[in-house]
Amino acid sequence: MMVVKFADICPIKSMPILKTHDLVHSFSNEEIVLNGISLNVEQSSIYGFLGPNGAGKTTTLRLVLGLLKVQQGSIEIFGEDFEKNRVKSLGRIGSMIESPSIYSHLTAEENLRVLQKIYQCSRGRIGEVLELVGLAHTRRKKAGEFSLGMKQRLSIAIALLNSPSLLILDEPTNGLDPNGIIEVRELLRNLNRESGITIVISSHLLSEIDKLVSHIGIINKGEMMFQGTLDELKEKQQQSLSVVFETSDSTKVREIAGRFGIVGVCENGRCTLPAIPKDKIAEINRELVSSGVDVFEVSIVKNDLERIFMDMVS
Amino acid sequence: MTFLNSFQSEWLKTKRSLAFWMVVIGGFFTPSIIIVARLVRHAKVPELYSADNFWDQLWKNSWESMAIFFLPLGAILSTSLIAQIEYKNNTWKQLHTLPLSYTTIFFAKLAVIVVLMLQFFVLFNIGIYLSAIVPYLLISGTPYPSQPLPYDHFLRENLLYFVDTLPIVALQYLIALRFKNFLVPVGLGFVFWVGSLASLSWSFGYVIPYTYPMYNYLKAGVETKAAIPDVNIHVFALLYFVVITAVSYGLYLAKKEKG
Repeated sequence: MMVVKFADICPIKSMPILKTHDLVHSFSNEEIVLNGISLNVEQSSIYGFLGPNGAGKTTTLRLVLGLLKVQQGSIEIFGEDFEKNRVKSLGRIGSMIESPSIYSHLTAEENLRVLQKIYQCSRGRIGEVLELVGLAHTRRKKAGEFSLGMKQRLSIAIALLNSPSLLILDEPTNGLDPNGIIEVRELLRNLNRESGITIVISSHLLSEIDKLVSHIGIINKGEMMFQGTLDELKEKQQQSLSVVFETSDSTKVREIAGRFGIVGVCENGRCTLPAIPKDKIAEINRELVSSGVDVFEVSIVKNDLERIFMDMVS
Repeated sequence: MTFLNSFQSEWLKTKRSLAFWMVVIGGFFTPSIIIVARLVRHAKVPELYSADNFWDQLWKNSWESMAIFFLPLGAILSTSLIAQIEYKNNTWKQLHTLPLSYTTIFFAKLAVIVVLMLQFFVLFNIGIYLSAIVPYLLISGTPYPSQPLPYDHFLRENLLYFVDTLPIVALQYLIALRFKNFLVPVGLGFVFWVGSLASLSWSFGYVIPYTYPMYNYLKAGVETKAAIPDVNIHVFALLYFVVITAVSYGLYLAKKEKG
């Protein structure tokens, strides 16, 4: 059977599907929780919204979904002002904010029927989404008897019920076991690839989503630290490479590096130089050997994405 | 159409809920007590059923505890429990991210509470009828009541009691939407109810919106120290319902955080 992917029939455009302009928010006069947040989520992208706990991720997403009144700034979804088109926009959005929102006295199926009545989608769709999240066998079980992981899956099923164009998930893998995390990641990747759903997913761990997302926004203390593609972030990673020379004479390393216009930092016989081309490394090494310096080790230290993220938020 | 869908969705949430069971149990509680009491004192039952005013007496007996205690307290509890469904399950945020206007959300939920109250009235009336029929069927020698069933009077009284309960529903709904803690609406409701009981003998007791079901019962010639107001309490009840609902709606719209 030939599988036709959404991307094949509908080429991905770089049109923003969600845009916020300078969102400023505070819960009291003293504390500003968000300070000029401008998100730019492109159509059919998977946007990872990263930041440590308390950075302002959930507040931003609650503003985007209309759960909080916008104090300053504006929100545009599907190219239209959100405040003026709230009901219309929400019809195309699936969401899950923080902990699961589930009626514990109802079964999984009844929970979905509560929403199916609003969305007016087919009853068959309930079975489809339960199947998608791996809960088809528990459809008649009361949601109150579910584990946290199962509740999380049911919340994702709820978010998918209306076949949304934009899916907003706030820390959706909380409470899931490692296998569950992988399954959810796979599910989201497939939804994005095959149906072209734009996904905004927040997390406080880059390692949790770096294999999933195409774009990244990093927020800390209510301010955007970085926004761009994953490749752009990786470029930053390249820029943050460093070369370490372990030799018998650190002073000589610093001196020779200085001749090439490179400033090194030396400590305990190890000199760390910023990223330099390979031929330069070879040249410095040659100079050191010809000057009678013993070179024990030349190594390249890669700062992983997590390190860059940590540097940005610390 | 959207309102109807929203109402159906809200109605589904009451399935197996405490509010639903309260309405069912509350509707049959007093009639059950009457049945048990008549079965215990079965010797007097044939005489009771021969009375010309059998149905009027049964109606009065059934409403005695209902109008003073169970109806106001039931309205307080069931209204608070319906709003509590969203707080308890952390689902306000889910509800407010559905493609529904705030007006639809507010009034669909209120409509469910009002319909639950109607359901209670229907069940209570069935219960009253059963409390007449069951002793007749079980106690030998009991004649079928000679007085024809006064449908018109019962319907009219049902309607008046229902209207009199609406201000309680509206005020409890307002409070329940504002406070996450279930004890706040229930506690305040209880305080208002006690205040209403205490103010029955006050000549301006009718300004308290929780007094109307009590006054409606007491006005029917029951011996009491209560000051039966000269005003039309049912008009007051309706006015209170409309005004409190309007204020409640305004406060709900103005809420800065919706989940």
